[in-house]
Amino acid sequence: MASRMLWASRAACHLRISLFRRGFASVIEHFKYADSHEWADVDGTYAKIGITDHAQDHLGDVVYVELPEVGATVTKGKNFGAVESVKATSDVYAPVSGDIVEVNTKLSDSPGLINASPYKDGWIIKVQISDSTELKSLMDSEQYTNFCEEEDAKH
Amino acid sequence: MIFDIYIVDLRIMSLQRKLQVWKMGIVNYLDALQLQQKLCSDRKTGKIPDTILSLQHPPTYTLGKRRTSHNLLVPEADLKNIGAELHYTERGGDITFHGPRQAVVYPIISLRDIGLGARKYVETLELAMIELASLYGVIARPGGKCETGVWVGDEKIGAIGVKISLGITCHGLAFNIDPDLNYFNHIVPCGILDKGVTSLRRETRLDLPADEVIQKELIQCLARLLRYDAIEWREDESYLFEVYGIK
Repeated sequence: MASRMLWASRAACHLRISLFRRGFASVIEHFKYADSHEWADVDGTYAKIGITDHAQDHLGDVVYVELPEVGATVTKGKNFGAVESVKATSDVYAPVSGDIVEVNTKLSDSPGLINASPYKDGWIIKVQISDSTELKSLMDSEQYTNFCEEEDAKH
Repeated sequence: MIFDIYIVDLRIMSLQRKLQVWKMGIVNYLDALQLQQKLCSDRKTGKIPDTILSLQHPPTYTLGKRRTSHNLLVPEADLKNIGAELHYTERGGDITFHGPRQAVVYPIISLRDIGLGARKYVETLELAMIELASLYGVIARPGGKCETGVWVGDEKIGAIGVKISLGITCHGLAFNIDPDLNYFNHIVPCGILDKGVTSLRRETRLDLPADEVIQKELIQCLARLLRYDAIEWREDESYLFEVYGIK
């Protein structure tokens, strides 16, 4: 166990990551959350969508974001794009269905915004919601925080 | 009372984390990709347990999602002349080469079941290769920032490229046992200039056993790191191809 910890700290040093992670990742109170770790910031019939602090922390440094086109339709629970980090591409899923009205093109040149500012500058798409009843099945910030704690406890 | 204990026993058995490993030979890249996609789909619905494919490829170059074809240094048309194929994939990572005598491992596993994120999973793949190398007295290390993979000094011995969909992994890792390293001259491996590649054969002073033995050891390292309780080894790859309608 001790040698493994020593090993892990050497590996962490090489990878330039901190072993001393926060106990839990941050959430924004009035956002809604999906169990696939995306958030939705609802404003009337529109929602801005991105991935959570928990998600970006578990992904590592994002080096590439595959963005959808404006005008495309997203469906709740289906992937609309992907992010690449540490040689892993991970799909990103729509928490709600709708039509994409805006895409954060800054992510093409600055994919790291997702890590640095997952809830603000790292937003991914903005949609016009097609079915607002879908919002009911999303978690609030407290439920999502508990969900993350349970998930992390598995390991 | 005894009945209660029997029920508890069964529950503990079902809580055991099981891994099914398919020991395969040299598999065409597209066949393996098709197989992974079908296994991934079955894993998502819980039809199959966590599964690993252990195999080798004929000479094959692959590109990741970012399509960094500028890192292929010869015209695509020339690849046939050197007996190699080129394929575009959805995995993370840059351009790489797969070929005989290189251990390729494709885990199709549920990260959500074990609460692992992409970063931790990739670190575990790196650790497995590092542990394997150490069995042969080779000291390998993970790369620095943006240099995911496993290195001996400044040369890469193991590469990683993964795709995660609904928490299920596919693609995986490639570890150089003793492939023909000349094939790497035709690319900028993983898009990293001025760093070369190496192999276990080059780095170890020990005699190497058959590839099959080394591949099994690699899987065992990975299974232990991912905390599986039991491994089921399967060798009837023809059954797998038949069930999934490949070839």
